[in-house]
Amino acid sequence: MSAVRAIDISVGMFILLGLVSALFLVVQTIDPSQVNAGETYVVEARFDHIGDLKIRAPVALAGVTIGRVAEITADPADYRAVVLLRIDSSFDNLPIDTDATIATAGLLGGKYVELTPGGDSEMLADQGEITFTQSAILLENLIGKYMLNSSPE
Amino acid sequence: MIATVRDCWQSFGQFAANFGGFQMFSFRLLPYLPKALLRPRLITEQLYAVGALSLVLTMFGGLFVGMVLALQSHSTLVEFSSIDSMGAFVSETMVRELGPVVTALLFAGRAGSAIASEVGLMRATNQIAAMELMAVDPMQRIVAPRVLAGVISMPLLTAIFSMMGIFGAYLVGTRLLGVDEGAFWSQINARVDMHQDVASGFLKSIIFGASASLMAVFEGYYCQPTPAGVSRAATRTVVITSVWILLLDFILTGLTLPKV
Amino acid sequence: MNMWARNPSENLVEIHDLHYSRDNRPIFSGLNMQIPRGKVTAVLGPSGSGKTTLLNLITGQLGPDEGAVLFEGGVVCPCSRRRLYEVRRQMGVLFQDGALLTNLNVFENVAFPLREHTDLPEELIRQIVLMKLQSVGLRAIWQRMPSQLSGGMARRVALARALVTDPKLIVYDEPFAGLDPISMGVIVRLIRHTNDALGITSIVVTHDVEETSSLADLSYLIADRKVAARGTPEELRNDKSDLVRQFMQGRADGPVPFHHPGPGYAEQLQAMAAT
Repeated sequence: MSAVRAIDISVGMFILLGLVSALFLVVQTIDPSQVNAGETYVVEARFDHIGDLKIRAPVALAGVTIGRVAEITADPADYRAVVLLRIDSSFDNLPIDTDATIATAGLLGGKYVELTPGGDSEMLADQGEITFTQSAILLENLIGKYMLNSSPE
Repeated sequence: MIATVRDCWQSFGQFAANFGGFQMFSFRLLPYLPKALLRPRLITEQLYAVGALSLVLTMFGGLFVGMVLALQSHSTLVEFSSIDSMGAFVSETMVRELGPVVTALLFAGRAGSAIASEVGLMRATNQIAAMELMAVDPMQRIVAPRVLAGVISMPLLTAIFSMMGIFGAYLVGTRLLGVDEGAFWSQINARVDMHQDVASGFLKSIIFGASASLMAVFEGYYCQPTPAGVSRAATRTVVITSVWILLLDFILTGLTLPKV
Repeated sequence: MNMWARNPSENLVEIHDLHYSRDNRPIFSGLNMQIPRGKVTAVLGPSGSGKTTLLNLITGQLGPDEGAVLFEGGVVCPCSRRRLYEVRRQMGVLFQDGALLTNLNVFENVAFPLREHTDLPEELIRQIVLMKLQSVGLRAIWQRMPSQLSGGMARRVALARALVTDPKLIVYDEPFAGLDPISMGVIVRLIRHTNDALGITSIVVTHDVEETSSLADLSYLIADRKVAARGTPEELRNDKSDLVRQFMQGRADGPVPFHHPGPGYAEQLQAMAAT
């Protein structure tokens, strides 16, 4: 019955290799901030323009990811973009005058939200709002401004 | 002119009939699948024939596709000074698209044609009829284990293909093209999302696996019981499965595009 | 002729007024047949007379357009899949080329029906399989693969497989085709022996008149979509009708014409020259 044994061994190795590969792929792509799936709280921030900020983009404090963009909608009432940020509950000491800026990762990277803490004694809580926001810098506007500035007087 | 139109219509009718037959066959098969799980020996034999024997092809394929991706992307990335993104680019492409699709095409060629000719040969030499006359349902004994083996093998083969591809790109990128090792791997983690990319690739591979094995078995089961018929079944399997996979891929990619 | 009484329990298989066509060509029009229990019945006929189709109708692979095929008094087809399988468990079929499963060796092929349908312990399966292989004279080659067997040996293994579940009916589809004289003698002896020793009913479909005459208890000649003659091989040999005589004596021309029907010779030459 050695032919049967050989088949079993081959199939076993095949499946093992497949599972190892799948594991490898999962490990390489897992996002630690999701794994915690711990407690989070949500705050709202309104921007004039979000650029190409996407859902699940990082929310960073001093460059370290502490949360993700949960939802992006436009508010027809005040013509601004409403962005919901889901932040890890262990960072519950963000003052209410924290500033949220839409920044670019690297020169041509994706957009993300950078939080710069303010100095207020009252802290942001769940369902709170960040009032100080800076919209994304659009390349076209920058170029336009440059051209306007450098046009001969 | 009229004759051409009539021929087209007839061809279309035949295609529709075949397609309908295939759908009926797949539906008829469904109740047999759970019971087939009770015979692991048969499934293991088929896993060997369909999966383990496709391993070398898949691994080499993955390795070389990954290496080519690295080479090809290098010229474009270098223009934008972002060769360190190579890891992310290759991984995302492999995991979402090339992994499932190319593995499926290789599978259709190797395993699909093997299944079609094997089952077709059984049909041509009366083995299927003999089984029916021995009151053994060939759908249960021959068809179901093969389809199950295909559905199980494909995701595994796809994962292996993708892993080999990323590894191949890593080798070429870091050794030959000067991509930074650390950047290579960390970029993958940053850009490739498990839920969206890996999971959608996984979903695709299961659907492709089911389609490929169903089509292969169908072609063999209903082929003309002659040597010419068997070889025709094998070629038809490869052609039809490949076209179907490419079509399905388009649809699935559209359905699983990340929400912006 | 009352030896073959039309008493239902005397006949294992009965065919009443069978009509069947394929692709708009009628194959049988009003065929009647009785297969007596425990005897070897031969079904003879020229090529294309539908002998294999008749087999398919008896085993339920095809269903009659009109009329009925009865096995043990019950209709074979149309019926539920379950009943069909029950009926088939009592039948064994020997295909022309054996139709052994190519990925199993001889032993496993013969054991196949037992493994699929019964829960017998391995020990018992081994004994039964070896016993059946012994009865066909091939116990020594139990390990060979079907591709390593000659045509005659493959058929004998297939016979062992067909017998392994002790069926009531065995159908042989052209068992003598393409065999050397020795193998032919072996098969003839096996058919007769199994029929008598095991009390099975046998149907042999063939066009080999010589072998049949030594083997069959009852012969049917099928031609023109019906039974053309019926009786012992002796009676068939002495039959006066032209068709039967042409068949039994192997004459090239007669009611089954040598020249395929078509236009006249001169006409065809002229028609082809004109194009």
